[in-house]
Amino acid sequence: MTTTSRPDTRYADKATQTDSDLLRQIHAGKADAFTALYRRHQAPLYRFALLRCGSSDAAADIVQEAFMGLLNGRLNYDPLRGQLQHFLFGVARNLALKLDESRRRQPSAPVAPEPHDDEAELEYAMEAACDTSGPLTRLLDNETAEEVRRALALLPPHYRDPVILYELHELSYQEIADICQVDLGTVRSRLSRGRAALAKRLHALRPAHLA
Amino acid sequence: MDTKQDYQDSMLDAHFATLRNELAGHDAPRCVEKELMQAFTRQFASKQPWYRRWSLPHWGAAGAFGSLAAAMLLLVLAPQRLVTVGPSMVGFDDGAAFIALDSLERIAREPDARLVEADLPQTALAPLGVPVNPQNADGTVRAEMLVAADGHPLALRLSASN
Repeated sequence: MTTTSRPDTRYADKATQTDSDLLRQIHAGKADAFTALYRRHQAPLYRFALLRCGSSDAAADIVQEAFMGLLNGRLNYDPLRGQLQHFLFGVARNLALKLDESRRRQPSAPVAPEPHDDEAELEYAMEAACDTSGPLTRLLDNETAEEVRRALALLPPHYRDPVILYELHELSYQEIADICQVDLGTVRSRLSRGRAALAKRLHALRPAHLA
Repeated sequence: MDTKQDYQDSMLDAHFATLRNELAGHDAPRCVEKELMQAFTRQFASKQPWYRRWSLPHWGAAGAFGSLAAAMLLLVLAPQRLVTVGPSMVGFDDGAAFIALDSLERIAREPDARLVEADLPQTALAPLGVPVNPQNADGTVRAEMLVAADGHPLALRLSASN
């Protein structure tokens, strides 16, 4: 789903305020602060969830649930522990993992691959995912972009998360490590293997695509 | 700063750039914002204290009701207040104290007022609020009471008798 950006002069003065300022105003019941905070963070979160889940409905649900948790205080966000955007990525990732778990319990649904840290096993997992997932719903208009998205969707989740956060959101290794709750070395190795698997998949698809 | 150099692959980078560009126009559906704003309204409508939930008409109605209640209270208390205010009409004229026991208009209107005179010990005047000179405390004062034809006391005039 493609929507245009929504500039609104009513929230122009909020654009310069920090997330912490807006959160304080939200807790005081100011609706325009919540709107400003939502509009500041929804797009990156939605794009992450879209690539992570491969479904616009699931991505919208994840965005809504993440902000709902922020609104009702269930998430207990502490500004001292990091940026709100990264915190929200972490929340979205956990929600996506829950979704994977519920899909895994459904026998008819494609089974998400279990974690594999070995390169050979990763390739096997991608092949298996490719065989079992069937035709994926087209989400993007651009052929190449859709090709990359589909290749990303075949990566096991623990490889997909760092690749999306690093390549599409340009986060550092440390930020990814914090979001995914793994150490730096694990981020490095998963990124390396994830990229290699992706490159291989895209390379394999290329002749067919060009033909 | 982490470097991408170790992992750069030109083909992959070009693909990711295309994906980034394609995703740039993707926002969460508008219905998400609408749902969240409704949740926000629900949450803070119940959380706000009663005085923040009141609108201008509510405050107007409360002000009108309060004013009415205050006016009624004043009316209820008014007779008691008049009794206490009456005796305060005290004046001093050439060393003599004049105490009006009724309104000055009523005293002026009374056609057949008569004067009743008596001598009182000065110590009896202090409880009435009349200043008493301690040096003359054992003396007496001349009390002249102006009485209406129907016997209603109108005014009192006190003067030193010796």
